[in-house]
Amino acid sequence: MNRVLANKKLIFIFIFPAFLFFSLVVIVPILYTGYLSTLEWNGYSDSIFIGFRNYVEMFSDFPKGFTKGIINSGILAFLSIFVQVPLALILALVISKGIKGEGVFRTSYFIPVIISTTVIGQLWLKIYQPNYGMLNYMLEAIGLSELKRPWLASTETALACTFFVIVWQYIGYHMLLLYSAIKSIPKSLFEAAKVDGARNAQIARFITIPLIKPMIKVCATFALIGSLKTFDLIYVLTKGGPIHATEVPTTIMYRVLITENNYGLGSAMAIFIILECLIFTVFIQKAFKTENYTY
Amino acid sequence: MFKKMKKLVALMLVFVLAISVVGCGSEEESAKAGNKAKTEDVSNSEGSSSTDEEITLDVWHLWTTESDGNAVSFAKALEMYKTEHPNVTINIDATENEAYKTKIKTAISANEAPDVFFTWGAGFSQAFVDAGQVAKITDYLPEDALENLNMSAANNFTYNDGLYGLPFISWVGVLYCNEEMFDAAGVKVPDTMDELFAAIEAFNGQGVIPITVGAKDAWNAMFFQNVATVRTAGTEMSTQALKKNISYNQKEFVDGAQILVDLVAADAFDPSALALTYDEAKIAFLNAQSPMMFMGSWLAGEVQNPELSQVVNKVVAKNFPAIEGGSYNNEFLGGAIDGLMVSESSEHKEVAAEFVAYITEKMSRESFLQGAGIPVWNIDVEGEVVDPLVQQIVDLSTESEGYIVAWDTFLSGSDVSTHLTLVQEVFAEMKTAEEFAEGMQTLNE
Repeated sequence: MNRVLANKKLIFIFIFPAFLFFSLVVIVPILYTGYLSTLEWNGYSDSIFIGFRNYVEMFSDFPKGFTKGIINSGILAFLSIFVQVPLALILALVISKGIKGEGVFRTSYFIPVIISTTVIGQLWLKIYQPNYGMLNYMLEAIGLSELKRPWLASTETALACTFFVIVWQYIGYHMLLLYSAIKSIPKSLFEAAKVDGARNAQIARFITIPLIKPMIKVCATFALIGSLKTFDLIYVLTKGGPIHATEVPTTIMYRVLITENNYGLGSAMAIFIILECLIFTVFIQKAFKTENYTY
Repeated sequence: MFKKMKKLVALMLVFVLAISVVGCGSEEESAKAGNKAKTEDVSNSEGSSSTDEEITLDVWHLWTTESDGNAVSFAKALEMYKTEHPNVTINIDATENEAYKTKIKTAISANEAPDVFFTWGAGFSQAFVDAGQVAKITDYLPEDALENLNMSAANNFTYNDGLYGLPFISWVGVLYCNEEMFDAAGVKVPDTMDELFAAIEAFNGQGVIPITVGAKDAWNAMFFQNVATVRTAGTEMSTQALKKNISYNQKEFVDGAQILVDLVAADAFDPSALALTYDEAKIAFLNAQSPMMFMGSWLAGEVQNPELSQVVNKVVAKNFPAIEGGSYNNEFLGGAIDGLMVSESSEHKEVAAEFVAYITEKMSRESFLQGAGIPVWNIDVEGEVVDPLVQQIVDLSTESEGYIVAWDTFLSGSDVSTHLTLVQEVFAEMKTAEEFAEGMQTLNE
């Protein structure tokens, strides 16, 4: 085995096909998109090279609202990291303690992750539906009918309602990742802590959380990247509306590319989203300085 | 035993790998197949005595629902064409509406457009024509081929003074009114703006939402601003503004937007209309929950379909209410926007052009009989039963003094989004009529 690994030529031969494939489907399209982003082009006519003017236009707003989209996705990223992941962590800590019905809880929290996003979207459309929707119906049933409102139709509530669904859907996903990390910690550590008289909160704070920090980092990264490139649920729920209130960079990019035929500007937005994700990933890696523990 | 198992597993893995490699290779084909709702090869019968050369035409359209009026009429027209032209093989590729828009744009930008394709006139096909991808159809047709075509209806397919495609039907926007609900409420079906506002007040007093609109699909809300501006500015002035020849910063355009502002202020619409799609809004009308809906003539077919509608024969079609003393009370929102074009890259442009002329003329008649639109070719419907609601719409439109298509089809590119956003902002009471006009004017500067 060592001989094989020492042979650089052999390594190259084995890795090259995968690398070639990876380049063709990831790197080349990104570079090509980068090239398109310097053009003024509607997809049919002759293209004109305009340098970085698309990037300037991208931030000079109306009616594209790109900066507002970035702010919206920033809010979502904040919610994901500071609400979604902590909630998932609490759930994971609780159900990994071997409570009754552990399997049932684990499965039911994970169900939203399995269901197709489109189905989730349709489900919540029915909940938020202003006339016969469950939410308004329940508010009326408990005597709070003054709180009834057209949730997704109002520019004041649409963003919060959409983000609530996105955050809710993936709690189960992060919970499962954290849960499996907790389960991989040797039982003897917990037992030793208990013998020393540690309470549950102390065990969580001083043993469990430090030991699953690498997994928390993974979750935070996923949550961040996921919220920066979120598209599907927003598209199903509001299509970025009403009046662009729930627009995020991806929905704007979709509109500019597909309905407005502006390939240059759309590509510039795509490049921005890629760069944004890369930069924030590096940022998170730096923020979580973790050591690897071996048991 | 284990060895065998191992070999078997290895074999399966190889198999999976092979499939995935093949799968990647033919992704394009499989995607194409996925998009195809229906593919049919219409081959001529063998032993045909025709002396003409064998020709194959690729035809793309978007009538994927077999019950759709235009789908039925296209199938009939195609059947007629086949029997008359046994040497021509037609390959049909049908794709659903939204997907079709993307598909045809992609095909044209990749220089792979089919011989004949369905498209929308005015702004949508402007880029295709500008890119030189569409054949000027009159160059490939005999002189008398278009003598039955109502040329004024074809203006949405006229680019740079040339005719590039042929329409088969036109649509008009009318106010559908549920007469039964009006009678029950003791309100007159509105002919004038004052009567409309009186009706709105009366229905609101009874807890009924007067007008149903699915403003989540912005074009629904846009119809009201567009047609109101037809009343205040007329079709000619609107067209000039849309062509960027005159300014929107004029009283006529502000007044048009003001009508929408007034309607919203009078609670004419569902307060949650911005969360409703066209389909949801339509259901409210077909279920007799709301008495009024302003929509294109295409809705008539569904209104009169007992399987979809509970308001069959209870609905009258009215022209959008008139303004007292207005000069544009008999002009309409609508026009011939659906049509077929021939691709410049087609190898058989003459056959394709003749096919387009043949099909659009025949479809004009059949689609009309299906209640899908107003014919734009002179047709003979003697002895055929025409639905009374469709007949009402035809009668309204024959007296028309002018048409303008919906603004979102007239404009193109990002202008469409700007326009729709502005209308939604007016709809949500976030912008005044003056701000709307100023916003539109930014498109012309």
